[in-house]
Amino acid sequence: MTSSVMLVREHESGGVQELPLAPKKNGKRGPSRARPGRFTPGVLLLPALLILAVVIGWPLIQLFVMSFQEFGRAQVFGAPAPFIGFDNYARVLGDPQFWAVLARSVLFCLANVIAAMVIGTLVALLMNRVNRFFKVLVSVGLLLAWAMPALTATIVWGWMFDTQYGVVNYLLEAVSGQDYTNHSWLIDPFSFFVVATIIVTWGAVPFVAFTIFAGLTQVPEEVLEASQLDGAGAWQRFRLIVFPYLRSIFVVVVILQVIWDLRVFTQIFALQGIGGIKEETSTLGVYIYQTSLGQGDYGTGGAIAVIMVILMVAISVLYVRRSLKEEEQ
Amino acid sequence: MRKTTLAVTALGVTAALALAGCAGGSGSGDSGSGDDTADIRVWLNGTDTPDAAREYLKTTFEADHPGSTLTIEEQSWTGLVDKLTTNLSGSDSPDVVEVGNTQAAAFTSAGAFLPLTDVYDAIGGDDLLPGFVEAGSYDGTLYAAPYYSGARLVFYKKDLLANAGLSVPTTLDEYVSNGIALAEANPGVSGIYFPGQDWYNALPYIWEAGGEIAEQDGDTWTSTFSSPESIEGLKQVQEVMTKASVAAKDGNETDPQVPFCEGVVANLSAPSWLKGSILAPADADAPGCPDQEPNLGVYALPGADGGAAHVFAGGSNIAVAAKSAHPELATDALEIMLSDEYQSILGENGLVPAKLSLADTLGTDEVATAIAEAAANSKLTPASPKWADVEASGALQDFFVSIAQGGDVAALAADLDEKIDGILNS
Repeated sequence: MTSSVMLVREHESGGVQELPLAPKKNGKRGPSRARPGRFTPGVLLLPALLILAVVIGWPLIQLFVMSFQEFGRAQVFGAPAPFIGFDNYARVLGDPQFWAVLARSVLFCLANVIAAMVIGTLVALLMNRVNRFFKVLVSVGLLLAWAMPALTATIVWGWMFDTQYGVVNYLLEAVSGQDYTNHSWLIDPFSFFVVATIIVTWGAVPFVAFTIFAGLTQVPEEVLEASQLDGAGAWQRFRLIVFPYLRSIFVVVVILQVIWDLRVFTQIFALQGIGGIKEETSTLGVYIYQTSLGQGDYGTGGAIAVIMVILMVAISVLYVRRSLKEEEQ
Repeated sequence: MRKTTLAVTALGVTAALALAGCAGGSGSGDSGSGDDTADIRVWLNGTDTPDAAREYLKTTFEADHPGSTLTIEEQSWTGLVDKLTTNLSGSDSPDVVEVGNTQAAAFTSAGAFLPLTDVYDAIGGDDLLPGFVEAGSYDGTLYAAPYYSGARLVFYKKDLLANAGLSVPTTLDEYVSNGIALAEANPGVSGIYFPGQDWYNALPYIWEAGGEIAEQDGDTWTSTFSSPESIEGLKQVQEVMTKASVAAKDGNETDPQVPFCEGVVANLSAPSWLKGSILAPADADAPGCPDQEPNLGVYALPGADGGAAHVFAGGSNIAVAAKSAHPELATDALEIMLSDEYQSILGENGLVPAKLSLADTLGTDEVATAIAEAAANSKLTPASPKWADVEASGALQDFFVSIAQGGDVAALAADLDEKIDGILNS
């Protein structure tokens, strides 16, 4: 809200440069211009709200309704769906499989957020130090990884980790001299998630690196120099100067990563098609898919999805509150 | 200010990404304006339908309906039930779809297909394969016509068998012991190729031991993987998977011609039409190894007491989508696919035609003989509309992957039964 109001005002007064003149015009602006301006933010928000209502709002309402219905494949093709109250929810919450999936999703999310944040920050710091040529080189590399569709990336990574023909097994055997012929990377759930983490983190690092790299330009050189003269090492400079300056960016990026990693779907789904045991490797997104589309039980799937939406909203509230605080500063 | 800009940019990027993520599904389905001319979309699965048949379908349809076009969109067998559910219920539905015979019930019972009563006689009537008519019917009405059937055969490398001093097995036990002997004699070679997810190939072991997948009593189904007979069969499956096969323990059954052509497979149990893939030209999109033709042998999987084993009767049904925008044109396309000419092309390529009268198009070579033997003893999965859900749940794949890893058969089977009971009786 605040940001759009500010942008509008800037625009009305003819750009940022003229802003200092604004107070002088104050007398003219007073009551006559305030009234039409009052509705501008609302009008500007309207198109976005409409799109959100159609694209996200309506399906969400349908999902919510569906989660209270007995909704199978016959209902998809038009049979009436009877309401069954909280039966779907009771079944989901009483199913140990659901809790296992939830715990797995949270652990996977944590591991991925930590990995992406650490590697992303290191890459950002690296980009801040190297010369222009390498900066461009790293940026291009990151952009390519960022631009690669998740499905394509997973298939390619899947080939590399292939049991029979994978290059990873081949290289490991060549380097270590141990027998990696037909070593399956996906059959053991832990090893499956190691591969999944590599793929997801590989895809997430560019965003983290770029955002933090952009933030690093905000850290005043003088302060860093002064601290260096006072004898602060690299770690101390990062911990005591860089991090506090970028704290808000870190928080926002972490929240976004948590949201993205908690609802991860493509990578896990595609990997399960390549190998592994579905029941031991499903995360929330995939579990909803399997329940709804795989088994044709849309009601139960809907209930799980609503629970996930509530989880996501809770995390998003953190994010929105943090962003609003930013704007106030 | 800078901070705000950054946050706004980040938000913008997020929104753009989120929107981009949503945009993926909107295809470019241009539904024609008039009913006379249109583009009919036919979904065929995998590479099973030979190119000659596809070409025939397209040219015949377009010659019969000037101005209209026919587009074949190849779908993957993996995840087909999910994909059909979403696409057949949407506004961008394909017009004609192929569906696995064991999956058909999930859609015929849900009203996803148009009834074929009016064209039943035109497409063959009583000449259609009875088992497949049954699979494609619901409440006495035919919704999904038989498309083709296929028997599972064993393809083998003649030289490997001869070098080991073995001959074509006559019983299932001999088949298994041959496989183990071949694997031991040729390190790195699968005596019997058996990737963990390939549950279709595990069924004959259960059936030959006297077990069943599930039994029906009135309206309730009881999964019987943990019956003593089934357990006995499953133990044999485990023996093959662990001692005779070096295939990926969690691999699936797609493209088995690749390892077969590479020379690391001695016996390969696969649908009869795989012969075409094995002998595909070396420069094809999915290359085979045509130079191996003299070395390629084939036989019907032997049963426990000799003769052909009960194998899974794979195959497909074909149907017109209930939401097709051009049902008449779509039905015409389906009629072409069940014409004698089209079905003969299938027969010549090792697929069992949908019509009994065309059985001789398979020829008289050893593949045809093996198909006839295997088809005579083939069996189906349980005739429940919910069976497709069991397949789609992935429970069977998970189960056999665990068996391939050497898990406790009895405990795993009891666990699987519980899961399948839950789905079949939900």
